[in-house]
Amino acid sequence: MRALFYAENIVKNFGGVKALKSVNIDLREGEIHALVGENGAGKSTLIKIMSGVIQPDSGRLILEDEEIKLSTPRDAHERGIATLYQEPLIYKSLTVIENIFLGNEIKTKAGSIDWRAQQKKAKELFNMLEIDSSFIGEKMGNLSVGLQQLALIAKALNFNAKIFIFDEPTAILTEIEAKRLFNIIEKLRNQGKAILYISHRLEEIFEIADRVTVFRDGNDEGTYRMEEISREKIIELMAGRTLIESIERVKNITKKPILEVENLSTKYYRGVSFLLYGGEILGFSGLIGSGRSEVMQTLFGLIKPESGRILLDGKEVKITSPKVAMDLGIAYLPKDRASEGLFLRLNIRFNISIPLIETLKGKFMKINSLEEESLAKRYMDSLQIKAPSTLTILQNLSGGNQQKVLLGKWLSTNPRILILNEPTRGVDVGVKVEIHREIIKLAENGISIILVSSELPEIVKLCDRVIVMHEGSITGRFDTKEFIVPRNLLNAATGARMIQTQ
Amino acid sequence: MGKSIAVRLLRTRQFTVAIVLLILVIIFGVSTKNFLSTSNLKNVLLQVSTISIASIGMTMIIITAGIDVSAGSIVGVVAVIVGKSTLKGIPIPLILLIGIGVGALLGSLNGSIVGFIGVPPIIVTLGTMSFLRAMVYQLLGGRWIGSFPPFPASFRAFGIGEILGIPIPAWIMFTLAGVFAYYLRFRATGRYIYAIGNNPEAARVSGIPVKRVLFSVYTMAGILYGIAAVVVCARTGIVQTNTGAGFELAVIAATVLGGTNILGGEGSVVGSILGALLVAIIKNGMVLMNLPALTEGLVVGSIIIVSVFADILKAGRENHG
Repeated sequence: MRALFYAENIVKNFGGVKALKSVNIDLREGEIHALVGENGAGKSTLIKIMSGVIQPDSGRLILEDEEIKLSTPRDAHERGIATLYQEPLIYKSLTVIENIFLGNEIKTKAGSIDWRAQQKKAKELFNMLEIDSSFIGEKMGNLSVGLQQLALIAKALNFNAKIFIFDEPTAILTEIEAKRLFNIIEKLRNQGKAILYISHRLEEIFEIADRVTVFRDGNDEGTYRMEEISREKIIELMAGRTLIESIERVKNITKKPILEVENLSTKYYRGVSFLLYGGEILGFSGLIGSGRSEVMQTLFGLIKPESGRILLDGKEVKITSPKVAMDLGIAYLPKDRASEGLFLRLNIRFNISIPLIETLKGKFMKINSLEEESLAKRYMDSLQIKAPSTLTILQNLSGGNQQKVLLGKWLSTNPRILILNEPTRGVDVGVKVEIHREIIKLAENGISIILVSSELPEIVKLCDRVIVMHEGSITGRFDTKEFIVPRNLLNAATGARMIQTQ
Repeated sequence: MGKSIAVRLLRTRQFTVAIVLLILVIIFGVSTKNFLSTSNLKNVLLQVSTISIASIGMTMIIITAGIDVSAGSIVGVVAVIVGKSTLKGIPIPLILLIGIGVGALLGSLNGSIVGFIGVPPIIVTLGTMSFLRAMVYQLLGGRWIGSFPPFPASFRAFGIGEILGIPIPAWIMFTLAGVFAYYLRFRATGRYIYAIGNNPEAARVSGIPVKRVLFSVYTMAGILYGIAAVVVCARTGIVQTNTGAGFELAVIAATVLGGTNILGGEGSVVGSILGALLVAIIKNGMVLMNLPALTEGLVVGSIIIVSVFADILKAGRENHG
C-alpha cells in the first residue's frame, strides 16, 4: 500500500525541553493508524505540527511525494489535513449548516449565501457518513458532544480532507456515542481516507486500528501491525525500562492515619476510599479525565461531595469551602497555575501572602507590610525564586519560578496536608529537581503529601504508596515500592484492576 | 533590578493625569481672568465632589471587573427620599442615615444579584437603572420638590456650607477618599477586591469568599452614591425626575480616566479623584474661555479614548517582554 503522508525525523524543542527527539510516522490511504504514549510523550506536539499550529525545528513532512510546509492551520486545511480535537472547536450559536460552511460558503451569482445549495450539500455529506441528517438545522450548542464531532467530520469532508487526525475523541463520549464514532471512522477508512487515531484506551485501539506507533519521551518506539503486538507489549514500550533514580529520605510516617476518605462520590467519580498517614507521600496516578483532580478539589472544598465521609484525626469533617479546608490545615496547589493558581499581573508578595493576609494585622487593623515582606522573602529564599525583589510582577518570571511562587503561596499557610496537583507541570528539568527535593523535605518534616501527577517517573521516584484511578474509580492500589513501577501503573490507568497490598 | 520608586511613580496613570491637570491649570490660569479666583476654584471643587464620591464606589466595582450603570438612578431615588424626608421635618442626622441606608439597600440589591446569583453586572445594573428611574418618576409624580417649600438651611449646608473656607462637599469627598484609599490599600478585604478582578478562579481557590466580597463592594458603592445624593440634593436645593440622570457616565469616565482598568484588576481611589478633577477643570475652563458647549464633550471624549488606548498599548508591551 502506498503511503500518503510521511513525517520524517521530526525534532521539536520548547526552550530546553525536548518534546520530539526525531520521530517518524507514515499514514496510508484506507488505514487507521493509532498513536499511543503516556502524557508528555510528544503525541500532542506531533499533532500540532501536522495541523500547522507549530513548526518543527527540523525534519520533513511529505504529502503525496511532495515535501510540504504547514505554516498555519489554514495551510493544513488546504492540504486536506483535518484535525478533530477532543473538545470540538465549534460556534455554539450557529447552526450545524452554518458551522460546516463557515469560511467556505456556497454563494449565489449575486454573492449572497445560497442556503438551499448548502442544505443540499450538507445532506449529501451526512449521507456519505450514513448518518441521519435531520439535525442539520439545529444550533450546534444544542447538540451532544458526539453529534458535534460528527458535524465537524462532515465539515472536514466538505473540505475534501484526505487525512483525519482524531485526538482522543472518545475521552468525553458515552459508550454509544463512541461506538457510532468508530463506525464512522471505519467508513472513512473504507472510503480511502488516512486516519491518525490518538487514544489512551488500548481496548479501542485493538478494536479499530490497523497499525500502532508508540511514543515515549519524544522518541518513537516503532510502528507495529496490530496482529503482531499485544497489549502487554504496548504497555512495555510506553513505560520503557528507563532507570528511575530514587531519592533517599528519612521516613517519618505515623501509624495512625490523619485523613480517612470513605466512599466519596460526586458526578465525576464514584466510591473513592483511601487513607493518608502523617509524613507520607501518597501518589495519585491515572490519565487525564480519570477524576483525580476532582477528588482533590472535593478535599479542598471546591466541589461538594454527593455522598461519603471525610475524617480528619478520626473525626468527621465537612469541608464546605477552601477557607474551611485551610483552617483544617489542608492546602491545595492547583494544576493550572495561570487560570486557577496565581495572579499573574500582581507581584510575588501579593501572591504569596494572599491566603493568610487576614492574619497579618498590625496597627489600626492595617496589613502588616513588614511581616508580609518577611513572609514573601522567606519563601523566595527557601525556594530560590529568582527575581529582583518581592515586588516583581509574576508575568515577568519564568514558568519554573512562577511555579515556585505557587508552592510558596501554599507553604505559607503551614499545612498538615499538602495536595499537589501536577506540581512540576511546564517547568524545566532543573526546577523539577528542586521541587522534588522540596517535597521530600516537607515529608521528612512530617507533612502528609498527596501527589497527583501524570508523569510516571515522578510518581515512582517520590511516592510511598500509589493509588491509580480510571474513569472515576480506583483501579489500582500499590503499597510497596517493588510494585510501584510504570508497567503496573499504566495497566491500572488503562482500566485493568490491580489491587496489591501488603 | 528593581526600578526605583521614582521611576515607578512616573509611570503611573495618576502621575500622568496630575501632570495634565497642572498643564491645564496653567493654560486656563493664563488665558482666562477668573479661573484662578477663589470663588471659581471653590466652584470646581463643588462640581467635582459628587462625581468623586460616587467614583470611589465605581472604582471598587470596576476593579472587580464589574460595572455599575445604575449609579445615577440610585442617586435619583435617594435624592427623592431624602428630599421628601427633609420637607417632613425629620432631624438632619436621621436624614443622613436615611440617605446612607437607602443607598446601601439599593446597592445590596445589585450586589446580591451579581454576587450570589452570578448575573453579569452590566445586565443587572441596566435593569436596576431603568427600574429605579421609573421609581423616581413614580415617587415624584411628575413634580419637583425643594423650591416651594424650600429645603431648610440646616440641610442645605451639606451642599453649600463651608468650613475653614473650603466647601463642605469637598470635606466629605476628601474624608471618604482617605477612608477608602486606606481600605483598598491596607485592609485584607481591599486586597481581595484586586484579587477577584485579576483572577476570580484563583481567588476562589485561595480561600477568598468571592460572592460575599462582590456583595459588599456593590453595597459600599450604594452607600457612596447615597452620600453623593444627599450632597446633590443639598447643593442644588431641588429634586426633579432627571436628578442623577447621566451621572453614571460621568462617574465611569472619571474612574477610567484615573487609571482604573475597565477590564478589572487595577485602579485606585486617588486616580479616580484626579480623573474627576480633570473632567471638571476641562469643563470649567472651557466655559470661562467662552468655547461652545459642544467642544467640551469632544475634548473629554477624546481624552478618555486616548488614555484607554494608551493603557492597551502599554499592556501589549508588558506582555511581550
